Amino acid sequence: MPTNLNFEMARSLVGFTVLLLFLSICESASFFQPISDSHRSAAVELFSPDHGSFKSLEETYEALRTFDVLGIEKKPDVTATACRLVSETVGSSSSTLKDLFYALKANSIVKCKINDKAYQGIITRLNAAVDGASSLPDFYYSVGGLLLVKGSKGDVHLADADGIFRSVKAFRQSDGRWRFSSNSPESSAFAAGIALETLAGVVSLASPELDQSLISTLNSDISKLFDSIEKYDDGALYFDDKLVDGHDHQGPLATTSSVVRGLTVFAAVTDERLNIPSNKILGLANFFLGIGVPGDAKDLFNQIDSLACLESNRVSIPLILSLPSTVLSVTKEDSLQVNVNTVLGSNAPPLTVKLVGVFTSGSKAASLVESQELVFDDGTGMYNLNNLPKSIDVGSYTFVFEIVLHEPEHEKIYVTGGQKKVPIFASGLIKIENAEIAVLDSDLGSIETQKKLDLAGQNAVSLSANHLQKLRVSFKLTTPHGLAFKPHQALLKLRHESKVEHIFVVGNSGKQFEMVLNFLGLVEKFFYLSGRYDIELAVGDAVMENSLLRAIGHIELDLPEPPEKATRPPPQPVDPYSRYGPKAEITHIFRAPEKRPPKELSLAFLGLTFLPLLGFLIGLLRLGVNLKNFPSNTVPATFATLFHVSIGAVLSLYVLFWLKLDLFQTLKLLGFLGVILVLVGHRVLSHLAATSAKLKSA
Amino acid sequence: MGKLWLICIASISILLPFLCNAFSPETPTDRRVLVLLDDFAIMSSHSLYFNALKSRGFDLEFKLADDPKIALQRYGQYLYDALILFCPSVERFGGSIDVAAIVNFVDSGHDLIVAADVNASDLIREVGTECGVDFDEDPSAMVIDHIGYAVSGTEGDHTLIASDDFIKSDVILGGKKIEAPILFRGIGHAVSPANSLVLKVLSASPSAYSANPKSKLSTPPPLTGSAISLVSIVQARNNARLLITGSLSMFSNRFFRSGVQKARSQTKHEKSGNEQFLTEISKWIFHERGHLKAVNVKHHRVGETDEPALYRINDELEYAVEIYEWSGTSWEPYVANDVQLQFYMMSPYVLKTLSSDKKGLYSTSFKVPDVYGVFQFKVEHQKLGYTSLSLSKQIPVRPYRHNEYERFIPAAYPYYGAAFSMMAGFFIFSFAHLYSK
Repeated sequence: MPTNLNFEMARSLVGFTVLLLFLSICESASFFQPISDSHRSAAVELFSPDHGSFKSLEETYEALRTFDVLGIEKKPDVTATACRLVSETVGSSSSTLKDLFYALKANSIVKCKINDKAYQGIITRLNAAVDGASSLPDFYYSVGGLLLVKGSKGDVHLADADGIFRSVKAFRQSDGRWRFSSNSPESSAFAAGIALETLAGVVSLASPELDQSLISTLNSDISKLFDSIEKYDDGALYFDDKLVDGHDHQGPLATTSSVVRGLTVFAAVTDERLNIPSNKILGLANFFLGIGVPGDAKDLFNQIDSLACLESNRVSIPLILSLPSTVLSVTKEDSLQVNVNTVLGSNAPPLTVKLVGVFTSGSKAASLVESQELVFDDGTGMYNLNNLPKSIDVGSYTFVFEIVLHEPEHEKIYVTGGQKKVPIFASGLIKIENAEIAVLDSDLGSIETQKKLDLAGQNAVSLSANHLQKLRVSFKLTTPHGLAFKPHQALLKLRHESKVEHIFVVGNSGKQFEMVLNFLGLVEKFFYLSGRYDIELAVGDAVMENSLLRAIGHIELDLPEPPEKATRPPPQPVDPYSRYGPKAEITHIFRAPEKRPPKELSLAFLGLTFLPLLGFLIGLLRLGVNLKNFPSNTVPATFATLFHVSIGAVLSLYVLFWLKLDLFQTLKLLGFLGVILVLVGHRVLSHLAATSAKLKSA
Repeated sequence: MGKLWLICIASISILLPFLCNAFSPETPTDRRVLVLLDDFAIMSSHSLYFNALKSRGFDLEFKLADDPKIALQRYGQYLYDALILFCPSVERFGGSIDVAAIVNFVDSGHDLIVAADVNASDLIREVGTECGVDFDEDPSAMVIDHIGYAVSGTEGDHTLIASDDFIKSDVILGGKKIEAPILFRGIGHAVSPANSLVLKVLSASPSAYSANPKSKLSTPPPLTGSAISLVSIVQARNNARLLITGSLSMFSNRFFRSGVQKARSQTKHEKSGNEQFLTEISKWIFHERGHLKAVNVKHHRVGETDEPALYRINDELEYAVEIYEWSGTSWEPYVANDVQLQFYMMSPYVLKTLSSDKKGLYSTSFKVPDVYGVFQFKVEHQKLGYTSLSLSKQIPVRPYRHNEYERFIPAAYPYYGAAFSMMAGFFIFSFAHLYSK
């Protein structure tokens, strides 16, 4: 059964402490703000139905309840779908007990129309369930269901209230915690809350009334339960079940919420006053408020529902003191405003807020002001202290407030939590005077150049110094009340051209802030970098309204040359934008072609090369060359023709070699032609030789 | 036996969607994210951020940082694509996770988000150091800015900073300008100047410094001015992306919902820029933006379509590559005008900007240099915020063959003429010599 009530995850106590610390860092102030509009907008955001309906009846109820408490206008379609879902569940006999319970709970908010017949069916079913119940959740759902039916229908009674009361009470453990069923060994505070709620239901349904002594035995159990309450440093109290491995383990929020719900419901039905210190109730309220705005729908419901229970409980109603602003300007004469509300932000009963004392943070000196009452402003509903006390200068303070209720009987109904400490920052404009910058000669300390600075405006000082000189920067800060002021941040920055930075803390000597830079001792720290240094002065504090960062000007430093082993300045970050981006394009430069003569020149010389041939031909004609020796017989004439054709073929082969043939083709053909040429040539030449020998002999 | 069979089928059907949704080069967006928390309550207090991630389809798995059962890998397979460390105070991770495991996780290309906070543990600082940033060593130091703080009625110590010094990059921060300043409360860090992979995304203003707000400042603060990085990103050489910040609360619902007004400014923003800033940057971290791929690298001679085995010097060639950017759901054409091609042999011989057709195709043409050897086509595209593209393809370039040189050069005509006139003369001479009387 506990799995039904389960969260998805177990939360470790240590972890939750971290969260609370984290949240308290977020909130920064150790006081709690009541529920505000941010909860309302968060509720609308978190409880947003998918396609008009929520995942389960439980979630529907949680949404409706949260909207109801926060006063958020319900969307009509949400109500309509909820009603449809409710009537479906109520009408069907197969719905689970849990769904029936949540359907009735949702119905108690949206007030759907359920006919009498359905009610009769539910009453019989629930009565049967009460009789057959064996575990705490069974009792819780069935008794709770009957109570809800009674709320809308009237005349529902438990016949054997006494017996049921006793059988529920059997789950009680000696330490004030309860078990879910008789065979589960673990006891938890979560179950205690459910049990208390169930018992309260039994008491209201009992007819005739239950024996008061039976009820009053529970009083001591509740006290015991409250003994196991856990505490945070900021005063928030909560319950947590330390079940490390239990999968049904609830978080502190769900556990505390369950206890608060059970407690307030039980307190409403018992005549006796519960014996719980009212400060514990306030601690519980602080726990819920300290969570801020949860990001989870279930957490938000637990927070809002528990706060709604605390808002009107019979034990004691917590009143929350809060300040809209804890940063007050002394210069603008802001007034101190204090709000006192209930946890859900509604108005408190008539009361007076007293400022008991004001202490400087971190010191144990006596209070700076007399105790005084704050004036109530009807218009805003706030308690004001119109002028801050004269003794409050800029700085951080702890203000101590106390709430005094006007009517003595309210003391029993409300809990205010005694004195309340609130950290306040009093800020103001700081006067800056006597700002000077000077270059001093080292040995004598005499001033070489001195310039006045106007730190409120722009400055452009230009100085020069060498390593034997000193730089002095001085200024004076006074608060609006004329006292010396020491800011948290008083830094002088020297930035070299190469972006190497040097930072110095400007110290204060009494009233004056002064810093002397002896360059002789700083040469090494400056990496022997001569050149222009830009000077920047930053003065700031949390309570200084005119914190400043000013570029004063620059100083031209003339430092000695670095020795061999001097440390080099650290590398400076490269601008990320310049690191990327396209590179310059590169085109290849081709080799220039060789220089050639103009074509005409080549052609002219080509012509010239034919001149010797021409001369040769002319010479031949002049000599009277003839072909008279050409053989006249057919056979030698044929060989002579073949011989010249062969010579012509060889020459043509050379032309072809030049044009297209390669060496091997040429040689092959040349070999063939050569053989013919030799044979034919031999015949021709021998014929010619024979002819000429015949002539000679003749 | 039948039961075993059923279990088999069931486990496969459970595992299958995870296996299918896993990170792959084709769909580079992360799917499975492990979130390590100090406390489960952060799930509730930071739910807006987590919901934003879940609504984009991420499968977040929340675990306590000291849970003894957590592990990043099983049987050599990584179980997650990304890791979110929202556990600033953890002293020791549970299970098998330690700094070395996280470094290995990143080294294998997975993404990481680290949020430290005031009093961050040494472990988280060490993770930061491994990522290339140094958090202020003073454990109680916070970033303080007396000029650029966020105006608030209840925050008087100026540690709640409204910062708007963003990196100028649309791919990292999205195309929509972030109007409202970012609320930040936490510790600052410095980026090592030697590390070129780390980028400051959100820097502090010049007036900021890092110090303990509660104690007096006696020594110069180690971090001052714009050198303080509030949020940094790293894109590793394997394109793993990291986000490092010194504030966990900047992810919280409270800061997401809170209005913001910067001191000395009259404009009051209804909502801080945290949600937009962190959501946009998470898109970048989880590779929904700025992840490039290059496909279809082609090169050929002008007028041809087939890719040759080698080029000759002085060839005219065309080179084309298609580049796409992952948009989280599909590959969209990447549009840029600074993709460059290098024709490279020891140094670039040709470096040319590719022209784009705005549909993802980048092309250019150029003439092969008259130097022969083994060249490479190189596209080295590095742009702020984008994954780096590095393509290289080897291609030899040969000189002219002997018969590829020019024939019948006019300057040689006299030589040709001389030879042929000689041959003609010889032919005629052979007649004159033999048959003349």
